[in-house]
Amino acid sequence: MPDSALHMLLVEPETLLRRTVSLTARSLGLGQVHEAASIEAARRLLEQRGFDGAVIAVDCVEHEGQRRYDMTLVEQVRQGLTLSAAEMPIAIMAEQATPELVKELQGRHISRLILKPFRAKVLLEAIADFSGKRPH
Amino acid sequence: MQAASLPANEAERLAALYALLILDTPPDQRFDKIVEFAASEFEVPIALLTLVDRERQWFKARVGLAVCETGRDISFCGHAILAQDIMVVPDALEDPRFADNPLVTGEPGIRFYAGAPLTLPSGAALGTLCLIDRRPRTLDAMELGILSTLRDLAVLELSGREAAKEDADA
Repeated sequence: MPDSALHMLLVEPETLLRRTVSLTARSLGLGQVHEAASIEAARRLLEQRGFDGAVIAVDCVEHEGQRRYDMTLVEQVRQGLTLSAAEMPIAIMAEQATPELVKELQGRHISRLILKPFRAKVLLEAIADFSGKRPH
Repeated sequence: MQAASLPANEAERLAALYALLILDTPPDQRFDKIVEFAASEFEVPIALLTLVDRERQWFKARVGLAVCETGRDISFCGHAILAQDIMVVPDALEDPRFADNPLVTGEPGIRFYAGAPLTLPSGAALGTLCLIDRRPRTLDAMELGILSTLRDLAVLELSGREAAKEDADA
């Protein structure tokens, strides 16, 4: 993969899905997909280099008695606190489009919402859209 | 129906397959995960990881089929291991090699088949990771890429088994 390749961040705990997307993106020339199995691992990657786009799986967690989605990573990017452009395209993966999630996404300029069941093809299409390269 | 010819390296291919000591072994989560992922990803009723033995194809992992092996003479995978890359049969009823195959005319009623050969670095194609549907369909470039990746991951697992055995023999 040449240095000019786009660098994408994929945050997804399921190893086989992550590996499949990463390796297929590389073989199809869609860009280099950097894998993170957790938000913490993604945060470390965001401290190391800039990215051209991200696909991030978010979990619904209990916080002070309320169900909330962990948007700290998205917020960090959008506030310009990483080495990536604050406006880089971000797709969010979630189990379902709950009112809580829609509320969390509002105003965060999310390019795409990907719901379960997660398919490698849908994630690759999101990455292809970010890079402007769709295989024929 | 046309039975597949034998690969030019058939003797070496079978030797490599037998050396893995994998035939007729119990299910292995590593391979099960790959075929389950493939069946879900491609939304096919049947996905298999097949190993082509001398006179049969045996399924190391399977989704959607109750039997654990079929005869090599009627297998699609016997053809697929001859190919350099993924063999796609969009509609078996339209393909003279398979139109009157009992796996097409009877159970499981194969119409669509895509088989990615499991080729070791030595060049031995041991079997396939294959997708089967009961309706005609095709795969686009991205889907072919995904199937190719899943095949590569299965080959890595097989190669790991080969390496582990070599270490044990040393």
